[in-house]
Amino acid sequence: MNKQLIKLIDLSRCTACRGCQVACKQWNEQPASITHNFGSYQNPPDLEWNTWTLIRFQEIEDAAGKVKWLFRKDGCMHCTDAACVRVCPTEALYHTEFGNVAINTDKCIGCKACIPACPFGVPKLNPATNRISKCDLCYTRLQANQPPACVLSCPTGAITIGDVDTMLAKAQKRVKELGGDANVYGDKFVDGTHVLYVLTEKPEVYEHLPAAPKVADSILVWKDVLKPAGLIAAGAVVAGAFLHYITHGPKTPEEESTCEGGKNS
Amino acid sequence: MKKGMIKATGPFERVVHWCVALSCLFLCITGMAMMYHSLNVIGTLVGGMENLKVLHNYCGIFFAVSLFFTILMWWREAGLFSFPEDMQWIMAAGGYLWKVEKMPEVGKYNPGQKMFFLAVAIFGIVMVATGLIIWFPDGYTVDTLRLMYILHALGFVVIFAFFFVHLYLVTIGAPGSAPAMFTGWVTRGWLKTQHPKWLKEMEKDGTLIVYGEGKYRK
Repeated sequence: MNKQLIKLIDLSRCTACRGCQVACKQWNEQPASITHNFGSYQNPPDLEWNTWTLIRFQEIEDAAGKVKWLFRKDGCMHCTDAACVRVCPTEALYHTEFGNVAINTDKCIGCKACIPACPFGVPKLNPATNRISKCDLCYTRLQANQPPACVLSCPTGAITIGDVDTMLAKAQKRVKELGGDANVYGDKFVDGTHVLYVLTEKPEVYEHLPAAPKVADSILVWKDVLKPAGLIAAGAVVAGAFLHYITHGPKTPEEESTCEGGKNS
Repeated sequence: MKKGMIKATGPFERVVHWCVALSCLFLCITGMAMMYHSLNVIGTLVGGMENLKVLHNYCGIFFAVSLFFTILMWWREAGLFSFPEDMQWIMAAGGYLWKVEKMPEVGKYNPGQKMFFLAVAIFGIVMVATGLIIWFPDGYTVDTLRLMYILHALGFVVIFAFFFVHLYLVTIGAPGSAPAMFTGWVTRGWLKTQHPKWLKEMEKDGTLIVYGEGKYRK
């Protein structure tokens, strides 16, 4: 039983009702934040430890001078090759049987390593508990064969969940229907994310959405090169020292010691 | 103490040495417990990985202070190479790896010890600086923070490898060395073999302190 699930977010169907935002808070029992209007319907301004999903509002002007209003539901992308899972020192962040990235807060030590590791800027620290907090794709609901709260709440069918092949085919079919710049986002990097977008514009048009997200090279150097190198280097020194001792031998003083009758100048 | 032993280090030197050495070792062990998942079990000894992280961080401050005194105390003697004799020593690998007919006379610190001192001093500073930024990451960019993790891991690789070289040489690799950092008294034979130039300097300057002579007479 290894049922990988993918959540498809079809932005062409999103009306920015923010039902998903509310449902997420409600199901995960997260308090609201007091915010100030910054000239946008987007609220709160960014993802927070208590806001795991957020509709981002963005106005763009196309070549013809026509203004478009873009809505994007932001949140954890549940990468297959997840940078946060790679860097977590205690395996608090982990992949579940559904392929989503969940967090075991009992194991989290609040080291904050995952925050700069994530290419999407998702993990946030809850300062009160000193624990990382982020979307887990409603793992407990998935275990109970229920859709995540955001999926359940979506009135237009913009958010749906299902197995990998079905959702990928659905996304590709939708992109074909939409035509133009529409594209599937999430299948081409970090070994595929478990959240898939149907974008109506090119990825680079969207704010806070990396066009080519990846596990940073620095993380690969750290975890795939330096981490084993630490043991290899130390092991080589220990082996070398032993070899030195049994072949070349120690460097012993010419005179045994200064004890009894030792030469004093 | 046996008669004829020669004083190699003072109590301040030894205390600073052990402060930096033991805190460094503790940092290596707790750091490894965080870097290698299979060593997470070490956290159990201190009541969990979060406690271990806290101990690692505060021990880092102790290490920083100890390192400050270490550098202050030793940078002149162990931080500067003197040419050409140190180059000769390095080319001959200190006579440790193959038979060398004529070795340059070694002073208080040989170039190998100087390299170890410099590695600990330079990478120690790197470890403190990167560690503090990792501990208090607010206000730093993602790119800066990612670089800090690499440098912190690199510093570990270098210091940890050097640690074993040091451990080997002061135990079975060059017998007679360890007392310099425990009692502070070493044998004349050891000095003649390891640091003949220093011995001559002390004899010439009249700074040689021999147990059983002068104020150390029983």
